[in-house]
Amino acid sequence: MQAPDLIPIIPELILLATACIILLVEPFLKTGVAAADGAGGAADSPAKGDKTPIIAIALAGLIGSLVVSLALVGHDRESFAGTLVLNDWAVFFKVLFALGAGLTILMSSGYLEAHRRHLGEYYALIIFAVIGMDLMAAARDFILFYVALELMAISSYLLAAFFRYRERSNESALKYFLTGSFASAIMLYGISLVYAETGATSYAAAGRVLAQVGGAGVPGGTAGVLLAVFLVGIGLAFKVSAAPFHMWTPDVYQGAPTPVAAFFSVGPKAAAISVIMAAFIVAFPGVVKQWGMFFIILAIITMLAGNLYALVQSNVKRMLAYSSIAHAGYLLTGVGAMGWSGNAYPGRGLLVYLAAYTFMNLGAFGVLAYLKTQMPEKFDYSLKHLAGLGRRSPWAAVLLSLFLLSLTGIPGTAGFIGKFYVFGGVVWADLWWLAVIGVVLSAVSAYYYLRVIVHMFFKEPEEDYAVREPIAGGMAAALAVSAIATLAIGIVPSWLWDAAVSAVGTLFR
Amino acid sequence: MSLTILTFLPVAGALVMLVFMRKRPSAYKTTALVTSIFTLALAIYLATQFRADTADFQFVENVSWISSLGISYHLGVDGISLLLILLTTLLSVVAILGSWNSITDRGLAFFISLLVLETGMLGVFVSLDLFLFYMFWEIQLIPMYFIIGLWGGARRVYAAIKFFLFTFVGSVLMLVAILAVVWSYSKHGGPLTFDILALQKAGFSGTLAIWAFAAFFLAFAIKVPMFPVHTWLPDAHTEAPTAGSVILAGVLLKMGVYGMIRFCIGFFPEVAVKAMMPVLILSAIAVVYGAAMSLVQPDMKRLVAYSSVSHMGFVTAGLFTFNQQGIEGSVLQMINHGILTGALFMMVGFFYDRTHTRLIKDYGGMARPMPVAAAFFSLFVLGSLGLPGLNGFVGEFLILIGVFQYAKVFAVIASIGVVLGAAYLLWMYQRTMFQQANEKWLSLKDLSAREIITLVPLVGMAIWIGLYPHTFLNLLHAPAQNIISQVQPYLAEHGNSLLGLASSFFGGF
Repeated sequence: MQAPDLIPIIPELILLATACIILLVEPFLKTGVAAADGAGGAADSPAKGDKTPIIAIALAGLIGSLVVSLALVGHDRESFAGTLVLNDWAVFFKVLFALGAGLTILMSSGYLEAHRRHLGEYYALIIFAVIGMDLMAAARDFILFYVALELMAISSYLLAAFFRYRERSNESALKYFLTGSFASAIMLYGISLVYAETGATSYAAAGRVLAQVGGAGVPGGTAGVLLAVFLVGIGLAFKVSAAPFHMWTPDVYQGAPTPVAAFFSVGPKAAAISVIMAAFIVAFPGVVKQWGMFFIILAIITMLAGNLYALVQSNVKRMLAYSSIAHAGYLLTGVGAMGWSGNAYPGRGLLVYLAAYTFMNLGAFGVLAYLKTQMPEKFDYSLKHLAGLGRRSPWAAVLLSLFLLSLTGIPGTAGFIGKFYVFGGVVWADLWWLAVIGVVLSAVSAYYYLRVIVHMFFKEPEEDYAVREPIAGGMAAALAVSAIATLAIGIVPSWLWDAAVSAVGTLFR
Repeated sequence: MSLTILTFLPVAGALVMLVFMRKRPSAYKTTALVTSIFTLALAIYLATQFRADTADFQFVENVSWISSLGISYHLGVDGISLLLILLTTLLSVVAILGSWNSITDRGLAFFISLLVLETGMLGVFVSLDLFLFYMFWEIQLIPMYFIIGLWGGARRVYAAIKFFLFTFVGSVLMLVAILAVVWSYSKHGGPLTFDILALQKAGFSGTLAIWAFAAFFLAFAIKVPMFPVHTWLPDAHTEAPTAGSVILAGVLLKMGVYGMIRFCIGFFPEVAVKAMMPVLILSAIAVVYGAAMSLVQPDMKRLVAYSSVSHMGFVTAGLFTFNQQGIEGSVLQMINHGILTGALFMMVGFFYDRTHTRLIKDYGGMARPMPVAAAFFSLFVLGSLGLPGLNGFVGEFLILIGVFQYAKVFAVIASIGVVLGAAYLLWMYQRTMFQQANEKWLSLKDLSAREIITLVPLVGMAIWIGLYPHTFLNLLHAPAQNIISQVQPYLAEHGNSLLGLASSFFGGF
């Protein structure tokens, strides 16, 4: 038997090595008492040991994987018996995930330090999650995709529970775990139905069977195929946090450490979208209209639910959780339009949107994490605690405004370019009514994003919430990168579009 | 390059202020003023170089920007946009000079906002690419939002959000229309382009044209604002600081009419002709309704705000007559309204700075302590109500001629507006400047030299246009001809049906 081609998974191998090194190095860095938790009463014995080497290793690994991925642009090869590919599609997502994880790590150290729970495992877990997401995007087989998804999901559950002495964090992890397990089970059932009807687990093989007949000639007929498609779709909709499968999202985000919530809101979502696009286009070609419409309906419900619930939130972190649901809705309009039209065009916009969303949403959560780091006891993410931030910490206020305006979709920012391309694709597919629903609801979203800006700039604080120190270190780097990327994509989006075109091109041939 | 320099000069000045003059109010105020004066000077220079005998766009710059979508950085001006640019640059100088001492809190941010706003407005008027246009159109919302929200009156937060959301809802629908128009053109054999001039040649028709026209029209009608989507205006104008009201009434409203000329008529002449009667009806309602509302306002600023609704009703009415006098009068009246209403807001601001009240009943006999102010005020009031010899008369007269040619009944209704205009303006003048003097105000100082300098250019323009409008009308002949030639083919067939119907309905009145 021939040895598998390992080139397609070099980025993941690098990450795997990085994560293992972190776990090995971590014990040697601990001097004195082992890490304890601030809320657990062991406040006198905070985590000792400088974590800078670990952060450096983690960043080096992510950058290594990013650089290698970029070096692999233009390749087109399969490995592991066709279950995994290396092409521009996979590279696009690998780069995106490495960037997202890198920014998350930069944001985390101060936050974890402030909560006295700065452990090396944290970084290893993030990297394991990235490996899972990378493989999800590269997978071309339901089994591999499922395994990769579980790798990502289990790492995520642990991350959500990282403040294990806090009730909120535990609640968050438990909800995430239970709903996630249900979703996985539903999805697995769908995958087993696909196997039952086509005798294949690879996307392409399933697609060949389902292509001509729309499922009519297979056991179970069209209805059976649709059942399988919808079950897989529902499982993925959980991961994207599409309504009505979104209930876990606000609680999980609110309870999880803020940088982790930031990571959840971009990484797994993008990974799930990548699977929906890759798997559904290739594996279910005969029923594109049906699953296209399925996602269009989901998109409408999701946009409505996300935006309307976000309107009534007084907690900014929770508002951002609902806003991430709304953004999942905008993304799904593109997915639906791609299926409905059976064309690559709407898909390209999705990739642009995912990149834009990664930076602006990480940035928004990052500013919140910074504020929490500065005021661990006082700040509870409520709107009124942001009052007067424009005077107290102008940089934080300006940056948060930039990210929120980008999430609103104001031109000149990445968020506008994302919406422009996604809704452009939707209109292109002659679904202009869907685009109208989307843009009207994104006008609604302006209200709750602006409300944060109103509090930061137009309101005076009730009591003094002075920040201790200016934005510095890793947080400054992360916010600067997010802000620059948000503006750069907003003003010169061509390169991103070209990357998206060549990535999506690999799905349609 | 000249238009690029013109457009971005204000932002460059703002950057200099931000980087070098953080803590020095006199330095950044001077820089802001000098920047705006240079911009005005450049605009005047361009006007002297402008060839008035052609409807072609001049000073054209065209650089590819997002080539994959046919988006380019395409600038150019015709007579209409040139006049509006002159108005914008003039009022920016006036606004900066006028708020010299009235803004004390966060002055740097205020003057930067004004300059960014100026760039946004100029960008709207020079853009010949839909994408670029949309970008500028939306970007100017942000500085205006902050100007109202940070430095406005008591209900500023409400007014700022209302202003933002109204405009934003209109613009996002316009975005869908833009996408629909561009895709439709490229799907039906045309190139994929966002170029306004190319799309004007496309000749859209059918259902798409009707819906796209509606979306564009709604966005612009909100901005104008036309009845019944005007409700944001009284709040925004009243709560905004003086400079904000001047710019808002002076320039931002004109962007709406400008958009109608470029897009509603330029892209969809066929639908525009069909829309003549409805638009005229709405305009007539706005004229009378705005004037009637002005009559009963207890607040001077609110009175001027409602008078804008009335005057802008004239403008839209003149435009949709599609004859030479109507169109030229309409554009000229925009300039007149910008000058006069800007001046009236400025005057109210000067009074408010001294008395801190805007209620008419708190005033009385102001002509005694402030004779110079009363003299200026009387000139602007008389200009605004249409006294021959001042600019307001010329515009209104041309519009009335235009409307009269189309349908006499509307000319009569519009004349009622003129009469009501005289009533509410003179009545306000009488109650504030004459009658029983309020003892409190007898010791007030008259206008300072700076305030007089602020007003002098406006007086000069009012008299110039009033006595010798040819200078400005000369710029409008060719563009007006161009608009007429666009709608002419449809006007002929339409004239037999709707106009005939209307005139027979009113018995040849």
